[in-house]
Amino acid sequence: MMTIELQNLETQTFSSLNRPILQGINCQIGRGEFVALLGLNGAGKSTLLRSLLGLVPLRQGEIRINGTTIHAPKNGSKTSRRDVGMLFQGGGLIRQLSALENVLCGRLGAMSTWQTLWGFPKSDRRLALDLLTRLGLKDQAYQKTSLLSGGQQQRVAIARALIQSPQILLADEPIAALDAIAAKQVMEILSALHREQGMTIITVLHDLAIAASYAQRAIILDGGKIVYDGKSQNLPATLA
Amino acid sequence: MKTAAILSKLWQSIIRHPQAVIQNGQPWINRLLILVAVILIYGWAWQGLQVDLELLKTSWPYIVDFIRRLWPPNLEVLDVAIKALIETIQMSLWGTTIGAVLSLPIAVASASNLAPPWLRLSANFVQNVVRSVPSIVLGLLFVAATGLGAPAGTLALGIYTIGYLAKFYQEAIESVDPRSLESLQISGASWLQIAQYGILPQVLPLGLGYTLYMFEYNIRAASVLGVVGAGGIGFELASYIRSFEYPKATTMMLVLLVVVTAIDGLSSKLRDRLEDS
Repeated sequence: MMTIELQNLETQTFSSLNRPILQGINCQIGRGEFVALLGLNGAGKSTLLRSLLGLVPLRQGEIRINGTTIHAPKNGSKTSRRDVGMLFQGGGLIRQLSALENVLCGRLGAMSTWQTLWGFPKSDRRLALDLLTRLGLKDQAYQKTSLLSGGQQQRVAIARALIQSPQILLADEPIAALDAIAAKQVMEILSALHREQGMTIITVLHDLAIAASYAQRAIILDGGKIVYDGKSQNLPATLA
Repeated sequence: MKTAAILSKLWQSIIRHPQAVIQNGQPWINRLLILVAVILIYGWAWQGLQVDLELLKTSWPYIVDFIRRLWPPNLEVLDVAIKALIETIQMSLWGTTIGAVLSLPIAVASASNLAPPWLRLSANFVQNVVRSVPSIVLGLLFVAATGLGAPAGTLALGIYTIGYLAKFYQEAIESVDPRSLESLQISGASWLQIAQYGILPQVLPLGLGYTLYMFEYNIRAASVLGVVGAGGIGFELASYIRSFEYPKATTMMLVLLVVVTAIDGLSSKLRDRLEDS
């Protein structure tokens, strides 16, 4: 039942902080949980998220996702990464490609270099278009992503993550720099994925009220350590 | 007296604590220091030139006489000029293409976001070596290897282009959004897939713009190469000047001016369209 297990995680010492970014992180996240990662800048939220993808070299500790141990980049397991989708702040899209092409990029890991050399099969293109339609971007499918608004770009990034059919969706400040309406749209989509598909969502947020509204659980980091792990409801009051 | 006192105080503070003055000093003191430094550098460069203003004054009539002898242009050699110009464009086209193709792997090997440090160091050294050889020396080298004419000029332009395009391409590659590449890496894309779908679309508009600029630049560079016998319009231009046929040389320069202006306008428009895309 357990999806993510972090045991005594410690990263290399970061010179400007003069300490490891993460130190002694222990936590378990069950399947279908909606978790908000909170904390000040430099607390280690994004590093923790990236470590779940095997992108951060660890000095000690272990990360297990669905029973598979995740290693640092050199030995990164491709299979476990396809279980995990990631949303970056600003989308992390290729601005020169269309929304549809960006979504299709989510399929690259499932295909060989030779297969994708001349483009993507029709079935994948249909699937990508279907995802964009579901996210309200049918009319923007063939537009360059650089011409889309911040909220639309983030929805394209969600579609790109969803085309991988992930069980776990990680989001690094997905609503940073978005206006209130676009931020609400993005959070509603994440909430629907969690509610309707039982997807595990782990998102870095800065807004305590938004975390309390959408997430079930909040993990607060400070100085690379977990200082709070519990319910996200009434979080502002708890912190006060 | 007051000014002298301020300057003296300033000088003393620079001598004693130069770093502190730059970091903690008043903004106007910093600006004054920069101004003084700039004036000193220009003064140093000027005295190195040993410019004789008296000589310039007495030589002015000779300059005027030279310009007067250039006019009017002799249009009898217009066909020769156009033929030589076409050869110059052909040289620039092939020279730029050869240079662009050779620049690409060097740029990839030099880019800090793609190559390991040891490879970057070697590739940057290759770039510096190529850039430090003047085009005219390359022209002489290839004239010695392949004889007088356009092939020597084309090869010289090809190598000369590497020094610049490799650097431009490298900077275009380094300006790629790292998060967009990481997102492809996370989806499990291979290195070649990341290059095709992540790096190429981001680098292409900028890279094509730089290549167009280099093509335009090489038309002018090809004219210089002609002086050492490496073909193109420069070859004819240098021949007419050496034989004191100045009006014919003027025709060559006017034809070159028209073409350079036209290509500049055209490539500017193309570059704007590429940047917008």
